Amino acid sequence: MLDYILRRVLLLVPVFLAVSVIIFLILHLIPGDPVDNLLRVGSNAEARARIEAKYGLDRPLVVQYGIWLANLVQGDLGSSIITRRPVSTMIAQVLPNSLMLGGFALLFSTIFGVIFGVIAATWRDRWPDQMLMGGVLLGSTLPSFWLGLLLILTFSVQLGWFPVSGARGWESLVLPVLTIGLGGMALVARVTRVAMVEAAGRDFVLLLHAKGLSPTHIRLRHVLRHAMIPVVTILALRIGWVLGGAVTVEYVFARPGLGLTLIKALGQHDYPVVQACLLMLAIAVMLGTLLGDILQALMDPRVRSALT
Amino acid sequence: MRATRTDRSNDHTNDTENNQHREFDKMFMIVKKHLLAASVSVTALLPIGAMAQEAVFVLGTNEVGIPSYNLLTAVNTNSVYPMIYDNLVAQDDDLSFHPYLAESWEEAPDGMSWVFHLKSGVTFHNGKPFTSADVAKFIEMFRSTESSYMVDAIASVETPDDLTVKFIMKNPDPNILYNFASSFMGIPDPDAVTALGDDYGITEAVGTGPFKLESFTLGQETVVVRNDDYAWGSSLSANQGPAKLARITFREIPEDSTAFLELKSGGVEALLALPTDYLAEIATDATLAVAKIPGQELYYMPINVTKEPFTDIRVRQAAALAINQPEILANVFSNYGAVANNFLISALPESKIDPALTISYDAAKSNALLDEAGWTMGADGIREKDGQKLSVALWTQNDSIFRRLTEVVQAELKAVGFDAQIQTFDSSTIRDQYKTGEHQLAVRSYFWNNADIVDWFFGADRLGYPNVSMFNDPKAEELRAKAMTGSKTSEERVANFTAYHAYVTSQFPYAPIYQPEQNMAFNKDRLDMPAEINGTSITGVVMVDVGVKE
Repeated sequence: MLDYILRRVLLLVPVFLAVSVIIFLILHLIPGDPVDNLLRVGSNAEARARIEAKYGLDRPLVVQYGIWLANLVQGDLGSSIITRRPVSTMIAQVLPNSLMLGGFALLFSTIFGVIFGVIAATWRDRWPDQMLMGGVLLGSTLPSFWLGLLLILTFSVQLGWFPVSGARGWESLVLPVLTIGLGGMALVARVTRVAMVEAAGRDFVLLLHAKGLSPTHIRLRHVLRHAMIPVVTILALRIGWVLGGAVTVEYVFARPGLGLTLIKALGQHDYPVVQACLLMLAIAVMLGTLLGDILQALMDPRVRSALT
Repeated sequence: MRATRTDRSNDHTNDTENNQHREFDKMFMIVKKHLLAASVSVTALLPIGAMAQEAVFVLGTNEVGIPSYNLLTAVNTNSVYPMIYDNLVAQDDDLSFHPYLAESWEEAPDGMSWVFHLKSGVTFHNGKPFTSADVAKFIEMFRSTESSYMVDAIASVETPDDLTVKFIMKNPDPNILYNFASSFMGIPDPDAVTALGDDYGITEAVGTGPFKLESFTLGQETVVVRNDDYAWGSSLSANQGPAKLARITFREIPEDSTAFLELKSGGVEALLALPTDYLAEIATDATLAVAKIPGQELYYMPINVTKEPFTDIRVRQAAALAINQPEILANVFSNYGAVANNFLISALPESKIDPALTISYDAAKSNALLDEAGWTMGADGIREKDGQKLSVALWTQNDSIFRRLTEVVQAELKAVGFDAQIQTFDSSTIRDQYKTGEHQLAVRSYFWNNADIVDWFFGADRLGYPNVSMFNDPKAEELRAKAMTGSKTSEERVANFTAYHAYVTSQFPYAPIYQPEQNMAFNKDRLDMPAEINGTSITGVVMVDVGVKE
């Protein structure tokens, strides 16, 4: 197993390099010369050359990439053009917010998604199933920014339970977590239901019934365990998505975070920040996938045996 | 608020920021209206609210994300700057200048020197007395900033005594008063700036203003507390002593629906910038009120004078006269704000050009000009000349307000026989696209309240962007040089800029469209706003008079 994890981690290196090349090139692929945005209008050629030299833009692309990557692995993400502060400090400031929001949202989706999925599968095609799946359909199709505003209107404006916006205390975390978590919950519930229904039809379940085990015991100890494999995969893939996909929610609830920083930096042509944010999101997706694979291997002996 | 040329070079950035909320706005638009209409009056649900003499303000969406309160490294400033820093002079909403840290000033008749007499007894937040030496040090430090052009005309600074500053000029610059009143030139303690280095403006900021910086969280909020020693308020403020509010929190909320709901639910006392969409909603709420702030924005349509068919001045004039400003004001902007008939906001004296030169809707004249230029009306309502259709490219940004406005402009151009094809660009790339010079018409806007914006957008050395009109005219350049560096006194400057502005307008490199108003929204049960706002925005001068109702 350790061998497997090691190989999986090593596999990340080429993926990371490929991602870093793409992120690095984004600066050169988007229309317009980045130097134009750094120069004051009406500056002469000399000023342009000075800026190019300062940012190393006068060197060949490969050399530029080499320098950037070398700094990157040392944890130096460069300095923001607009704020003139180290990008790593800026990221370090907003990352906890994003991680907390994403983490709680993921936890919320997992717990409630699995519970609702199990309930729906148990009472398949009866009213609890139909009601839950109807709710889930709504939850998975509502755009998060709209849902966010609806929640604000209900719980902050009408009921006054939670603050409208901001990032002060746990109260301000409830509505954003719900906004992101409801979509994820819907997804998890659907996957759990389908996987449970599918697993319940297998031969081994019939055997367990024949052995006289109680239906609840079979459902929760055996069927659910099988059904969790696709759920874990889905959840792992959502880790990156939750971090990046929180942009609209951060926007609506005025919560500082990675997504908001990225949007802001894009608008201001603050390339080092854009690169760093994209890198963080890419790393989150990569780590999420890794985690998913490892968990899957831990849970499913067939995956493990296929590896060796 | 937005207040210097550096800012102007970043006006595109501001546009982009606006876009984000506009883009979201568009998505919410339909939903929002119904939702807000459905929400009951929430007066009864107000939380216990701010403690005595405390208030929470929300900064405008284009002010979100200020990196620090160090104006020596700032590219943009926000409304909190003037709370912490005082200026040498203060500017009123009629754009006149008034004493602030300087009690009085004299300009030499040839414009080659200025003497400012400072108020006595002024101290910085750290207790250090404010003297002429601080001004001299500050000006020298300012020379290495992005906004250094503001002090370019100053050759040297002399300090005959602690309360007298003399500026020796390289060339006359009557605009120096405007620069001194700008939020970029609020005066910090130069020694504190040096001592604190990179931390200055983040952990601490030292000015002489009515409020002291207590804490600053990037992208979230800034808290300021009253400066109890304050006794040098401007004559524009009713209250020259310490501010009425003991503590103000300025929050940053990027989405205006959220900011509005915060105001409505009593979570905040005021929004410093309210989008016009919400004005009707405010009117129906008994607890909310609106304070008008002088507008600084102007919408216009640049016309690329180097592209056929606009090389012909008659076609340019025809396109400009086809824009129905009153109709746009009524239908696109619900009659909030005013029409624009020239390039400058109406508050500027330089906007008062010969009425014969101003540009107002005149379809008959527009049609006559096109006929005269040889463009005859075709059967399909599009004019033709030598088998060529009068088809032009009309560029715009992807924010919803620009798209909506551009569609109306397109229809108005169609009415006189132009076939305008709209091309939409992402607002962060459109500036690069202008530099290709391929555009013919565009719809855009700027924020600025000084006549030198004419120089910025029509100067021949900035073709493409910001000179989107690609306007390069020898006579205009002559008038421009005279206006920019040849004015000895303010009166001369006004006259020179009026002449420059009038000449540029007479060549039709643009069509004026609309000037929005700026509005601040506040909870009138909680906040006691002065009846009149004596400033170009909600500055420290205004804030000292703001109180809370007990």
